[in-house]
Amino acid sequence: MRIIEISTKKEYSIEILPVESDDYKNIKKDRYFFNWKTEKEEEVYKLRIIGSNDILGLVSIERIPQEWRLHIRLLSVSKENKGKEKQFDNITGNLIAHIAKIAVREYGELACVSLKPKLQIAKHYIEKYNMNVTGVTLSIEVPEIIDLINKYDED
Amino acid sequence: MMKTKNSDIMKVDTEYGVDSRYTSKNEQETEATALMEARLKRMKNLSNEQIVKAKLMQLKLKMEEYLKKPVYDKQNYFSEFLKLYIDSIYTKRSNFAQDIDIAPVSLSQVINKHREPKEEFIMKLMIHSEKAYKNVCEFHKKTWYQVYYHEKICKTMSSQEKWRPKIEKKVRLSAAI
Repeated sequence: MRIIEISTKKEYSIEILPVESDDYKNIKKDRYFFNWKTEKEEEVYKLRIIGSNDILGLVSIERIPQEWRLHIRLLSVSKENKGKEKQFDNITGNLIAHIAKIAVREYGELACVSLKPKLQIAKHYIEKYNMNVTGVTLSIEVPEIIDLINKYDED
Repeated sequence: MMKTKNSDIMKVDTEYGVDSRYTSKNEQETEATALMEARLKRMKNLSNEQIVKAKLMQLKLKMEEYLKKPVYDKQNYFSEFLKLYIDSIYTKRSNFAQDIDIAPVSLSQVINKHREPKEEFIMKLMIHSEKAYKNVCEFHKKTWYQVYYHEKICKTMSSQEKWRPKIEKKVRLSAAI
């Protein structure tokens, strides 16, 4: 999995790992937009460039095995990766693809990843990640979820 | 209900983050029911090919996860993954045996751990997987070998109490180091 430095177009290999309790010392709302400490009891993953300790993105999820579904609770990139001046591209895509991989690994052809973005940004997720809409929930399942994984899971 | 003006989308940075937590249990349950209904409808339209692809992707991800760390338990991972692989593609295991030109009884013995797979068996499995995964996802040639030897290493390391006393008696270092 890779992210792209926008200024140089250079690609960097990334890793997505579970957040450890020590990480929360450096995960502040002013850099990661949300109060991530409320997610301490949840399953939370961090994205970083291999060889670096700097966290560029975070995602927390809820597993709903009875529905073969993983629900994204919170997702954010780091402050410098927001907006037109952002440093790296593909952070969000890689985080969603990582959750999609867990879902497919656990639930196979029944796998589903869902999220509930605000109305203004739902269209973006529908178009960019090929998500389905049900009420206020967006979801991605087979076959689109396989395409999403393949798009981001290149060596 | 999801209609949004393009101008509204441009005003927000769509990629910086999402707070996707449900505000109440009631909202979550209502959404879950509707989502499940919609998904079940979509699932009915899945083709057999799409299901097979998803199963093969699942198996690949399971094998990758297994290879990430030592696993010390009694499960036979190589044969379990082999079973999943064959059963994802074939309705009869004998058809797989035919496709890789081995006797069904030999395949059965490998699956049931009554015999170790021969080198040629793993080579054939590697080539068969290259073909099967070609239109599914990237699948490294070495994966089956890695699974086989990973299991061997984990089992050997975790069962030292059993084999070490006997073997250790037969090993000495005569050279002075």
